[in-house]
Amino acid sequence: AAMRSRAEVDATLQTAKLNPAELLPAVQCLTFGPQAGGGECCLLQLEPGLCAELEAGRSLVVRGEKDEHAVLCSKDKTYDMKIADTSNMLLFVPGCKTPEELNADPASCNIIHSQIAGFSKNYWELRRCRPKLKKLRKLLMEDPYEGPDGRKDQTSTFSKYTTEDLLSLIQASEEEILHQLQVIDACKIEGYWRILHFDYEMKLLNHVTQLIDSESWPLSKVPLCACLEELGSLEPREMIEHILLSYGRKYVDAGEIFFEMCEDKICRAIAQMLLQNAVKFNLSEFEEVWQQSVPEGITTRLDQLQGLALVDKSSRPETIFLLKVEDLPEDNQERFNSLFRIREKWTEVDITPYIQDLCAEKQTVGALLTKYARSSMLNGVKVYNSRRPIS
Amino acid sequence: HPHCLSHSGGTGALAQWVLVELQGEVEPRQSGDLAGNLLGDLHYTCEGIPVLIVGHHILYGKVVQLEKPFAVLVKQRAAPQPSPTGPHGHYTVTALIKTKLLFKTRPKPIITHVPKKV
Repeated sequence: AAMRSRAEVDATLQTAKLNPAELLPAVQCLTFGPQAGGGECCLLQLEPGLCAELEAGRSLVVRGEKDEHAVLCSKDKTYDMKIADTSNMLLFVPGCKTPEELNADPASCNIIHSQIAGFSKNYWELRRCRPKLKKLRKLLMEDPYEGPDGRKDQTSTFSKYTTEDLLSLIQASEEEILHQLQVIDACKIEGYWRILHFDYEMKLLNHVTQLIDSESWPLSKVPLCACLEELGSLEPREMIEHILLSYGRKYVDAGEIFFEMCEDKICRAIAQMLLQNAVKFNLSEFEEVWQQSVPEGITTRLDQLQGLALVDKSSRPETIFLLKVEDLPEDNQERFNSLFRIREKWTEVDITPYIQDLCAEKQTVGALLTKYARSSMLNGVKVYNSRRPIS
Repeated sequence: HPHCLSHSGGTGALAQWVLVELQGEVEPRQSGDLAGNLLGDLHYTCEGIPVLIVGHHILYGKVVQLEKPFAVLVKQRAAPQPSPTGPHGHYTVTALIKTKLLFKTRPKPIITHVPKKV
């Protein structure tokens, strides 16, 4: 079919009783392009910042296995994807000119033929979400590193993951993944990301704390070189340095590298070591053994164990048991369900360490509690329980 | 496997397209699909108001700068196997849309008995 002519456009204007003098001279005749109905195109609504990223040439990645809800990742953020239906038709027109553009080019011809590239009744909507990082720990725990003598280490690389492997399997942005690897003290061994087996980690930590004790070094100034020299015959140098990095803060003084040891983290590790061997402990007995087990000069405090252990003040005698937040479900509702299965009523102080990580950007623990729990008073204290019966 | 959305243009800036939003359905006058058919004539008044003549209707609209721009994703043809509709597929970003022409007013019918011969 021949393209529409200016004369035909003018005739239509006349029939429509529109005054050409009130219109800009150029008309755009919109026709459906050859691919228009094919459903090849779809629309993605961009959250602030993403448009600039695309224009800067950066990519966005859709991640998710078939059984997972897809997420969109920029370099440092993760978004849930959801289809939004409109009742309207959205046509996308390349090269369609706005009034400003037409006015800016007065010499342009008075008829422009534009093709509609596609159309849709819906689009993808994005909502910023917490990166789904629980799977990261799960993957690395498939084959924890037991040291160079560990039997398992000679076997295949089946359960070993490179950065690229993790990027393709974890629903999070690259920066969020790399940051989490640091948080969980993962290290790269022969190109693969590994988590240390807890027993091996304690073995390494013990070497270091015993050395600190025998050398009478202050906990705030542990020299790297001396550690490597004294312990290098017992363990790989990379592992000695790794444990110092995991449990200390690295700094330089007069050209030499030192570590300021993190007392709280040392206390937590030793508590875990003690608690993991039984269902629960008598609280006062535990506190005594725990204090005796930590290096000289360090004071243990129960608040160091937030998100790691829970005290039962209702039992006689009071008891304490291991409960690690990273072992709990990642989904909000499932997390609350599992917490209420463990204990029917929680104070805000007790539950906060176990729900803090669920907070979205700008969301508070209070808001979460309002949404997922019901409050009541118990002996003058505000407590939270489940909104519905927990099986 | 992750699917990368990067812009297909390679060098140079991403194309800027415009969204035209209409109420209801658009149906071809003759049976068959829409490809090749004229939607209508798009004019602007001197004040910059978009006027779209579709069939026997006049639609008045407005130019809207989108608070949240759109990316236009084009599915890659080399999709290996059929999968349920969803973002699990190969896409490239072909264009950005920052402006839309929103036609929300009820179309005014053009009443005529005989189309004017040219």
